[in-house]
Amino acid sequence: MQGTLDLLILQVLQWGPQHGHGIGQAIRIRSQEALQVEHGSLYPALHRLERQGWLASEWKMSEANRRARYYKLTPKGKRQLVAEQSRWKQLVRAVARTMKPVKE
Amino acid sequence: MWRLFRKQATDADLEEELQAHLEIETKQWMERGLTREQAEMEARRLFGRQFGSRALVMEATREVRGHGGFARLSQDIRYAARVLRRAPAFTGAAVLSLALGIGATTAVFSIADTIFLRPLPYADSGRLVWVAIRDPSIGLEFLPSPDYVAWRRDDHVFQDLAATQASFSSTMLLGGPDPVEVHAGRVSANFIDTFAVTPALGRTFRPDEELPNGPKAVLLTNQFWRDRFQGRRDVLGAVITLDGQPYAVIGVLPRAFIYPVDVKIDLLTTLPVSPTASHRDRSMSTWAAFGRVKRGVTMAQARADVDILYAASKRDDPQMFRAFNSVVFQPLREHRAGNVRTLLFILMGAAGCLLAIACANVANLLLARWSARARELAVRAAVGAGRGRLARQLFTEIALLIAAGTVAGMVLVAGALRGFVHFAAGELPRLSEVSTDSRVFGIALLVSLATALIFGGLPALRAGHIDLHSVLQQAGRGGAAGGHRVMRRVLVAVEVALSVVLLSGAVLLFETLWHMQNDHLGFRPEHSLTIRLRAAGFQGTASDALTAGVLAEMRRIPGTEAAALTQCTPLSIGAFWVTFSRSDRPLPERFHRGDNIGVCGAGPDYLKAAGTRLVAGRFFADGDPPGSLAVVNETAARAYLPGESPIGKQILGGRAGPWKTVVGVIADTKNQGLNQPASPEALVNDTRTANAASVLFIVRTIAGEGAFARALHDQIRADHAGLFARIETLNEEIGESTASPRFNTVLLSTFAAVAFLMAIVGLYGVLAFSVAQRSEEIGIRMALGATPGSVLALVMKEGAALMAAGALAGVAAALVLTRYLATLLYGVAPTDPGTYAAVVIVLALAASAASFLPARRAAMLDPVVALRHE
Repeated sequence: MQGTLDLLILQVLQWGPQHGHGIGQAIRIRSQEALQVEHGSLYPALHRLERQGWLASEWKMSEANRRARYYKLTPKGKRQLVAEQSRWKQLVRAVARTMKPVKE
Repeated sequence: MWRLFRKQATDADLEEELQAHLEIETKQWMERGLTREQAEMEARRLFGRQFGSRALVMEATREVRGHGGFARLSQDIRYAARVLRRAPAFTGAAVLSLALGIGATTAVFSIADTIFLRPLPYADSGRLVWVAIRDPSIGLEFLPSPDYVAWRRDDHVFQDLAATQASFSSTMLLGGPDPVEVHAGRVSANFIDTFAVTPALGRTFRPDEELPNGPKAVLLTNQFWRDRFQGRRDVLGAVITLDGQPYAVIGVLPRAFIYPVDVKIDLLTTLPVSPTASHRDRSMSTWAAFGRVKRGVTMAQARADVDILYAASKRDDPQMFRAFNSVVFQPLREHRAGNVRTLLFILMGAAGCLLAIACANVANLLLARWSARARELAVRAAVGAGRGRLARQLFTEIALLIAAGTVAGMVLVAGALRGFVHFAAGELPRLSEVSTDSRVFGIALLVSLATALIFGGLPALRAGHIDLHSVLQQAGRGGAAGGHRVMRRVLVAVEVALSVVLLSGAVLLFETLWHMQNDHLGFRPEHSLTIRLRAAGFQGTASDALTAGVLAEMRRIPGTEAAALTQCTPLSIGAFWVTFSRSDRPLPERFHRGDNIGVCGAGPDYLKAAGTRLVAGRFFADGDPPGSLAVVNETAARAYLPGESPIGKQILGGRAGPWKTVVGVIADTKNQGLNQPASPEALVNDTRTANAASVLFIVRTIAGEGAFARALHDQIRADHAGLFARIETLNEEIGESTASPRFNTVLLSTFAAVAFLMAIVGLYGVLAFSVAQRSEEIGIRMALGATPGSVLALVMKEGAALMAAGALAGVAAALVLTRYLATLLYGVAPTDPGTYAAVVIVLALAASAASFLPARRAAMLDPVVALRHE
């Protein structure tokens, strides 16, 4: 789901700037390998979010001793994250209610 | 420019970002103890698993970043051009199909546009009208000369009312040391003003120049002035000799002038318009009339006035105009479009069919390619390219193909239009106005836009069909095209059906031509010549001596078997039409319109020279008193003397002159043209030539036609200076009368041949593709024991099914549509079963050949190789 990937990226970045590789790894680790980033869609998603103004990027030295593009949340991105989170929670609650076993 | 630069910068950025990703991954693996090489390999492997190829990630990310409308468009176009360049065979086939379709359609529609829509090439042409009386019994529209004179005098609505010869021009002899025939359009003096033409040189006709005994004047057409007088300005006031009479050259018409009757003209001279013309004159002419309606007068008012004029004409001579006669009052443009609707609609239909087949063919090719590229498309969709984006990309490919097809088509149009104007001369009106200009370009643009719209739906359909998961799962096996296999088959069946329609039409026309050329002619055209002599001296009785002299000279030329003076040929009916009369029955009333018979004066050797068979009695002999005897053809004998022996009957007398005794019956010849049954005709032994503008001889020679013509020319130049002879073989005359059906046949056959080829290529394409797709299935079948023969049958059956469905639909459609051909056919019915059988058989043979190649490829598949792909 495209929306899900966006939310995960925003989530990861609330802890500080990170490069593409780190974001991908973080999503994998945080979800205990349950969520794989959908086939090939990470970088297109990063660039899309940047164009929407939710992320900003800058080139910094990485641990591999070469330049990497680091992404960070913009204020607009933070607001979006809050909004997405509350919507996500609503969705989860709604799904949970539906899934509750019905009393006989 | 800077956009391009920025795009490259962004690409480099992206490249570096992905490179950094790999480096970080590599470093992590090295930290876990792998060597640098191992780590790099592992990093790349992982990257591939997660993201697919780097190029794809780049492409997808680039699309997400977006470059704004223009940059994205140019990127799409570059990408499409790259894709098309990589498949030259496909691109070539598609562009050629589209070029043929667009070119043919544009050419035909340009002609139709000229005939139906373009304003006439005259100033304020909306006020020009055609005025005539229609006679449905002979299917003609004309205005008798007395009525023209009366109407021009009494009308209240025309600024000018001009007259011309009805539907021909006069051939006149331009005198000089080496006389030539020229085509003269004869018009009333106000003709030039009616059409608002300003002469390029000199003046227009003066009113007195149209009087029967007025001064004789000519206006030269621009072309004739250049060709004959080298464009010399001192030609004004010069005197030229036409048919032995001096004519003053008073002016030269502008280059853009177009005569409103579709005949060739070299110069204009006047009709004899007598102010006192009356219905009671012994002779009257039938003219064509063109009016220019006064400003401020509506068409309805003008029409009402013409009705009043016609009522007055009827009161003047009630016998001449019957209830079935009617007034025709028509905007000139409508009149000029005339009765070519049938032919043009057939051509437009054929061109439309061709374009549809071309579109179906290209659609088919595209679908096949997209199926083969299903994996690429699916991956692009997966990496976030989006359906809209994919559809746009595919549409760009189509647009590029159509653009290339249009450009190539325009080249074809220029050639096709020139061909049309050349071959269709005499078939279609207003062809001299056809030119390759911006209007034609506009039409081509409309046609290709329509093509794009037909296609436009495809990419959307296609993009909608991409089912990511199933495609990716099957991707390795290249068998992802299930969805539109049906569509491709339908397209091919439609192609086959359309080409059946075109082929049937073409074959029917071809049969018409064959019948016309090979039906029983009733005479032997080989070695038979007609000679038309023109000289100023033919006025008066002196001409009899002259023609007798020439006849004697013809007989002396070695090889001449027979030579006769005549007024008709086996291909043309006699000099005049009369109502049949016989001495033992009451005379027909005046202006009786039934029982027509053509009358032709002919000399004693006519029968032998023409090669016509004598059925009964005898033919004329030297020494028979001139004008006393007649011979009738079989049709006349059957129609007017049924059940009795015609020999000895007295016919064609009374008001028409002395009675003539029938002495023989001759075989019918195609005297009405090759596509008409013979008309009743009588030959009379009267060849007196007093006051004839020209005399006609018919000669049979065993020497070559060329040798005879040369000998005669030499003889005439030596003995009769100023005499002009036009020599034609009867075979040439037959050729002229089949020009029209030949034109139809050639045109429709060309369309049909191209359509047929495209349909067969389409069929081959579908089957070849289907075999490639089903190679594993076929491999399994063969592994399980299917023989090559049964595999062959399997594929052939698929082709046969497509072909049968298409042929069935095509025959059904053709049966409906070829009814519109009926008026162009002769000797064959539009529903002729043999024709359709032949078309279907030919198509079946070609289709089998087209299916055989892929079928054999399937049958020769090595199951091991086929299954290894699994």
